[in-house]
Amino acid sequence: MNRLSIKIVWRTMCILLQFEAVFMFLSAIVSFVYNEPEFIHLIISTGVTFLFGIIGILFTRDVKNLQMGKREGYMVVSLIWIVFSFFGLLPFYLSGHIPDFTDAFFETMSGFTTTGATILTDIESMPHGLLFWRSLTQWLGGMGIIVLSMAILPIIGAGGMSMFTAEVPGPTKDKLHAKLDYTAKILWSIYAAITLIESVILWLCGMDYFDAICHSFTTMASGGFSTKAASIAYWHSPLIEYIIIVFMIMSGINFTLYYHMLRGRFKKLTHNEELKAYLIIILVMTTLVMGSLLIHHNNIMGTEKAFRYALFNVTALITTTGFANSDYTTWAPFVWTVLLMMMAFGACAGSTSGGIKTVRITLLLKNSYYEFKRLIHPNAVIPVRFNEKVVKPQLIDNVQAFVFLYLIVVIVSVLFFTACGLDFDNAVGTSISAVSNVGPAIDQYGPMANYAPMPPLCKWYMCLLMMAGRLELFTVFMIFTPSFWKK
Amino acid sequence: MKIVIAGAGDVGTHLAKMLSKDRHTIILLDEQAEKIKTLEANYDILSVVGSPTSLKDLVEAQVPSADLFVGVTPSESTNITACMLATKLGAIKTLARIDNQEYLMPKNKEFFKSMGIDDLIYPEMLAAKEIVNSLKKSWVRQYVELSDGALVVVATKMRSNSPLCNIPLSQAFATNGNIRIVAIKRGDTTIVPSGKNQVMEDDIVYFITTREGVEDVRIQSGKENYDISNIMFLGASRICIKTIQELPKSKDIKVIEQDLDKTYRIIENTDNVLVIQGDGRDISLLQQEDISSFDAFVALSGNAETNILSCLAAKGMGVNRTIAEVENMDYIDMAEKLDIGAIINKKLIAASYIYQMILGGDASVKFLTLADIDIVELTAENNSYVTKGPLSSLSFPKNTIIGGVVRNGVGEVAVGKTQIQAGDTVIVFCNRNSLVDIEKLFK
Repeated sequence: MNRLSIKIVWRTMCILLQFEAVFMFLSAIVSFVYNEPEFIHLIISTGVTFLFGIIGILFTRDVKNLQMGKREGYMVVSLIWIVFSFFGLLPFYLSGHIPDFTDAFFETMSGFTTTGATILTDIESMPHGLLFWRSLTQWLGGMGIIVLSMAILPIIGAGGMSMFTAEVPGPTKDKLHAKLDYTAKILWSIYAAITLIESVILWLCGMDYFDAICHSFTTMASGGFSTKAASIAYWHSPLIEYIIIVFMIMSGINFTLYYHMLRGRFKKLTHNEELKAYLIIILVMTTLVMGSLLIHHNNIMGTEKAFRYALFNVTALITTTGFANSDYTTWAPFVWTVLLMMMAFGACAGSTSGGIKTVRITLLLKNSYYEFKRLIHPNAVIPVRFNEKVVKPQLIDNVQAFVFLYLIVVIVSVLFFTACGLDFDNAVGTSISAVSNVGPAIDQYGPMANYAPMPPLCKWYMCLLMMAGRLELFTVFMIFTPSFWKK
Repeated sequence: MKIVIAGAGDVGTHLAKMLSKDRHTIILLDEQAEKIKTLEANYDILSVVGSPTSLKDLVEAQVPSADLFVGVTPSESTNITACMLATKLGAIKTLARIDNQEYLMPKNKEFFKSMGIDDLIYPEMLAAKEIVNSLKKSWVRQYVELSDGALVVVATKMRSNSPLCNIPLSQAFATNGNIRIVAIKRGDTTIVPSGKNQVMEDDIVYFITTREGVEDVRIQSGKENYDISNIMFLGASRICIKTIQELPKSKDIKVIEQDLDKTYRIIENTDNVLVIQGDGRDISLLQQEDISSFDAFVALSGNAETNILSCLAAKGMGVNRTIAEVENMDYIDMAEKLDIGAIINKKLIAASYIYQMILGGDASVKFLTLADIDIVELTAENNSYVTKGPLSSLSFPKNTIIGGVVRNGVGEVAVGKTQIQAGDTVIVFCNRNSLVDIEKLFK
């Protein structure tokens, strides 16, 4: 393999910046429509992003084609989130709505990684243009910036697969079509179509169309940014909550399954073990939380309310969306534990959610169970079967390494946060929440609170965690391994 | 009938030998001259050296005027291509040997017909069915169902405790009209018995009976029945996968296979199978896997020697039922003498299956692996010789037995006073050479 070519990385990122400029311009239009003074800041940000990109492209004209190797691919996929966040923060920073640079970067990174952790204390006072941009960052980050660029412009040639692999979550990837850019197109079309459907339904059910669109963006991306400080609880509407629940569950399903469904291949759906496990986990955990609510808070909860609260919070956290319809930090500690577990689990591979992913959990559970059988029959070959297929031990090794890495990251993060002065509950909650891209944590950083009081150093550390979590750890950490830089 | 056989492997050669005795015109086509030249010297066939997918060679092999083209080279795609070419060149019917169950599915039949392939044969599938059949009854050497199960032929090895031993056959079944012995294999010779013959110890005896009569056969031959509920397989070959798929799900199955990829393949394609990675010739491994607790041992590795030896080892360790796949034709006789429960040879099975298809229509032939005898199902036509009177008053060629009659789906074992009617399906046991003469009696 060749040494990393900085020029190719540079050029690719400058081209990708043009995409960001286009979407920023969209937000500027929204701002213009609402006749807000922040319009000018959005236009300036668009201009800066655009110019920076153009200059970068002009300087690297001698790179004829973007033949990316694995290294360049991983480098681009990792750096792009930092670069996008850096330019993406400009509207917040320039307009003065988030005057602190650390906060602005945190907010944007939280957006692109679909975490949904916010430092804003008064969301309602934000102008529409900025709120729209804030939701849009999540929508872009949800399906992935690289996948989007592949869908729109065939700029990435060979090496695209490694970038696709790095950006789409899950241990294995299905290509839906022989051409990668066509696969990306299918995924983004489905993503956009469901988002559109959701916004129409939300609008019909009583949200105004601006809120409907913004919430659809952040639901499908499993992001969790809301245009209201009270999140979904603002509407006091069970109907809206149920609709959001349905679409949150949908955002947690592997998007390739929708494609198979549209093609009439329902067998792929009914025979998908991960989907089955995902729905069962939601069902079981909802029952547990509902039981706890009925026992511990029976004075304020009816059965319907308990069911709705339980289902909403379980789905919001397992899909790592992080919307809120209530403040679960006031509930029994048992519920916190269940919800923390949900945050770590995450939904299906190939969805927009974060976390460990149901497929990995299922594989490891099966593998551990078979280990008993292996002890009894030492000569037997007892591989894990998933979706009727034999899973090769190499993949199990990979999954085990991932889960172990995830645990290490959480432990190191807890150490770091407690060293910075956070207490234990908060340290554990924020670590898991950030690395799984959830948003709300427990205790002080619950769904009705925000991250503004966090020390700046912790905020920067959170940014790193969110990025590493979004790219499923390996991609980001690989850059720090010596073998990545060796020939 | 002019029959062109492409591929002089075991299936092709065996088929050519069988067919050449029936006065068909046989042309054998193969790329390797040494494979077919010796055959041409000993049998009445024409051999052509050439590729089954070359147009020039196909014409050379007289495919344009052939009634039947049989593609039985080891390669599936060669067979399919050759059959398609043969149809376009003018062969009336084609048959290809395949390696893929997907092609056999009923919905694909028309598809292959439109491509010019009339029949498909999948030897592994046939072998698997044979194994499943012989696992059903633990004491049976061979179990053949005739006319959709109206009658069955059962072969078993005689022990001295059998009440049938050493008494003339005319007395043996005096009280039971439901069983009849149709062939006795003693050493290397096959006897077509008459009333005077006797059954002796160590004979392999072929009975014809109805399904209900099978239990009587067991009692008469002094055998004990035991259910086979757990089976050990050696070698995760394709036959093994097919066999396990065909077996009832309740069976406890262990498979020993050395190759890791093959173990994955079998796990993917079957349920509830414990797969052990290891060498099946390793006796200590077999003991470790508790071989003596198994009811049956089926050796299906690619190596005939391994299969035979491991079956003997299994027998020695107390396994009641052993089945060995022996692809090497020279070993079959020897293996049979070695007290192995049943011998499977997929080429022989395939060849007899094709043979049966070729005769097609009014006659169907089953070929017994062990004895040198054919079972033919013939339909009696109006005013044919066989309908002229009870069997005892008719005369048949030497070494021929009318085994049974199937009328309206109900089978009956033939005895002296049985009267055949037009439209009956008659089960005839005969020597292959006299088949043509017998067919005349039914017309």
